[in-house]
Amino acid sequence: MKRGFAIYFACLMLLTCFLGWYLTRPKVLTVGLFAGSNWNVPEGDSYALMEEAIKRFEAEHPGVKVKYVSGIRRDDYSEWLAERLLKGEEPDIFVVPGADFDLYASIGALAPLDRSMNKDTEFDPSVYYPMALEYGRWNGISYALPVGAVPTLMFVNKTLLAKEGIPIPGNDWTWQDFLRICKAVTKDTDGDGRLDQFGVYDYTWRKAALTNDVQIFSADGRNANFMSKNMEEVLYFMDELHAVSQGQEVTAKDFDMGRVAFRPFTFAEYRTYKPYPWRIKKYSSFEWDCIKLPAGPSGHNSSIMQTMIMAISARTSEPRLSWELLKTICYDPAIQELMLTKSQGLPVRRDVVESPQAQQLFTAATPGSEEMNLKIVSQVMDDSMTEPKFPRYKEAMNLADHKLLHIVQENMSLSSALSQVQKEINAYLQQ
Amino acid sequence: MAGEYTWEERRLEWLYGLLGLYNGLVVLLMAGFMSLTQEKIVNSMTAHAFLTTLPIVPLPALKGFLLSVGSYALLILLGKLYRHGGMTSGQLHLIFAAEIGICMMLMKSLNLAYDGIVLLAVADLMHRYHGENQSWLLLGAMLGIYFMANYNMAIFQRHVAPFDVYTAYYRPEVQSVLLAIKNGFQSFNIVLFVLYLVLLVQSKHHEKERIASLNKQLEEANVRLRAYALEAERTAETRERNRLAREIHDTLGHTLTGIVAGLDACIVLVDAVPAAAKKQLEKIRETARHGIVDVRRSVKKLRPDDLEKMPLQQAVKKVIAEFSASSGVEIHLVELGWPEKLREDEEEVIYRIVQEGITNARRHGKATKVTVTCGTEPGRFYIMIADNGKGCDNPKQGFGLRHMEERLELLHGRLRYWSDKGFTLEATIPMGKNAMDNNGEADV
Repeated sequence: MKRGFAIYFACLMLLTCFLGWYLTRPKVLTVGLFAGSNWNVPEGDSYALMEEAIKRFEAEHPGVKVKYVSGIRRDDYSEWLAERLLKGEEPDIFVVPGADFDLYASIGALAPLDRSMNKDTEFDPSVYYPMALEYGRWNGISYALPVGAVPTLMFVNKTLLAKEGIPIPGNDWTWQDFLRICKAVTKDTDGDGRLDQFGVYDYTWRKAALTNDVQIFSADGRNANFMSKNMEEVLYFMDELHAVSQGQEVTAKDFDMGRVAFRPFTFAEYRTYKPYPWRIKKYSSFEWDCIKLPAGPSGHNSSIMQTMIMAISARTSEPRLSWELLKTICYDPAIQELMLTKSQGLPVRRDVVESPQAQQLFTAATPGSEEMNLKIVSQVMDDSMTEPKFPRYKEAMNLADHKLLHIVQENMSLSSALSQVQKEINAYLQQ
Repeated sequence: MAGEYTWEERRLEWLYGLLGLYNGLVVLLMAGFMSLTQEKIVNSMTAHAFLTTLPIVPLPALKGFLLSVGSYALLILLGKLYRHGGMTSGQLHLIFAAEIGICMMLMKSLNLAYDGIVLLAVADLMHRYHGENQSWLLLGAMLGIYFMANYNMAIFQRHVAPFDVYTAYYRPEVQSVLLAIKNGFQSFNIVLFVLYLVLLVQSKHHEKERIASLNKQLEEANVRLRAYALEAERTAETRERNRLAREIHDTLGHTLTGIVAGLDACIVLVDAVPAAAKKQLEKIRETARHGIVDVRRSVKKLRPDDLEKMPLQQAVKKVIAEFSASSGVEIHLVELGWPEKLREDEEEVIYRIVQEGITNARRHGKATKVTVTCGTEPGRFYIMIADNGKGCDNPKQGFGLRHMEERLELLHGRLRYWSDKGFTLEATIPMGKNAMDNNGEADV
């Protein structure tokens, strides 16, 4: 009896100790992210934003440590994350590369967030730009929250347009305006018989398709449709645009020399190249600004938005804390505001982007962009589009690029050529 | 026959063990292969490409391996419980359900690459299957397992990493070899399972045959037993009839003889000494009354009343006194010793012998003097009744002697009689341990 009691007591003590240890043990959350910018621009301190967020989170949640592995390059990140997943050692929350999002959501690597989003009374998804939030959805379920985003805008060489006496087009300009200005500025200024001033550099059919409301791929990425009227309009337009430069290739050097009127740019590129020291190095000879992309006859002044998203691992041992941390990074207005100063992207909360404080911070952080109105950027982001995320999107688009370039350059019969492209892309997608 | 059965059972158990061992080996190899491949994939920096071909995130290599091996161990344990534990049918069903659940888990953890373990569960089910009326149940369960396996296949198909994806890591030549090995594993398992089933059915069949033969034997024994019972009944009837006859002879005969003798005396006395005759008549009446009581009791219980009421010694003395009084025969009782303890039937036999002996002396020997001697010797008790009657050179075995002999025989006793100066009758009854044994045997 006595011995039985002793054993019982010992078990109870052990259990209490274990429970005590279990409940008070230091909780460690890990964050997965890569070094460098998400938007292919040089970035000084890529972990600054995350460190601020972690500091804030740790202050709000005593006893919880947040760690991250630094030094993973963006190019290696996808493989690094896949290896972690296979080893079962993935971080609790991590940045999901856009191209991998569909894959990870479909194989159940990401925790669905809808429940937390609905349960959390502090959380209101409507503050996000709809497309940014949509980017973290798969099959109608949210798996990731946006951290930051960059829209693609049209760069305008103010100096060149002023020289030619052409006013800067408004944000509601069309392909026709675009084509007209391009035609007007394309000329041979030094009289050597070769064109040396051009309308546009790096404007691809993809951007034209976006602004003409072309839906190439089905939602699941198994089918492509190149045979629509909109797509034909795009190709006609591209043909005309191509014809303006009379077959002469416009180069990046021409742009750097200030001899090109337009160039589509991502917001991150704008922010990187505008301030010192990049501005000095690259585009010191002219003044420039950004406007929306021109609208096609069947579309509107849309823009492509690239979004950086973060998700929670489906296998995290701390789903509640992970959600809190994700919320701190992606939802906390103070952290969102830091996007403007600590990174080259933009916050994904509309209220943060449109606040006067944000405009101040932005102007201070990006010298020389006094004219840049964040309200306009916010508008752009509001009706922007995101690129499809299905796994073979990049490859399919590269293939389409190649084929379409061929068509544009060879002046082939459009409808038969498009059907040919469609067939080939479909064959690739359905492999 | 029983030896053959256990041998068969042992063979079956051995095969089941082999099936378990083989499946364990396959599970170990499959799980090991997949875990190692996964580890290799991670190390060769092709994790992303591997993941794109999967519908799920597979478990980490070691965890997956341990899950497979662990759940297999659990499955075997449950199988053992299912087959050997003395459990109620409810518990058995519960265990079987758990077995199926673990089967599913194991199959999932093995990425559905090997479904042979379902056969293990089926083997367990078959092992427990008894009787014809359960065949529907069995059929239902088998169909259930089949559908469950297929359903789970369909459900899991999107939730497991296919085996091919793992083999795809290797060179094409190796891939085909791996696939062949996997299929070989499956096939050999089926061979083992079918062999097990055949042996099981054989064993069940033999058991059935054995039971049928036992049934036949039992039936035969039953028939014999019934005949024997009939015979025994008849014997008992005969014996009872004899006993009744004996009783009637002993009680009625004795009383009537006494009455007749008394009446004879009365006839002689009635004219000479009417008073004596009257006295004699009273004694006769007394004897007759006794006789009536005796008969009544005989009919009722077939046991002397005197013996009911008093110990043997007194009853003997009483019967002697009464008989002597009623018949006028001078009877002398010599008590050399009484046995310490007598059974009821022994008492009755002794009482009857004394009764019969003195009656005979008066009736057949016309004796006027009778000496009854009783005494014990080591291992036996004897009664000697000697009279001074005319004796009998060749004593006809009337009812009296034969009944005495019969009664004594039942007790393994012995009756001797002879004539010299009158008629002498000697009865011996074995006593003590010796007698008990004999009697025990005789009673049967």
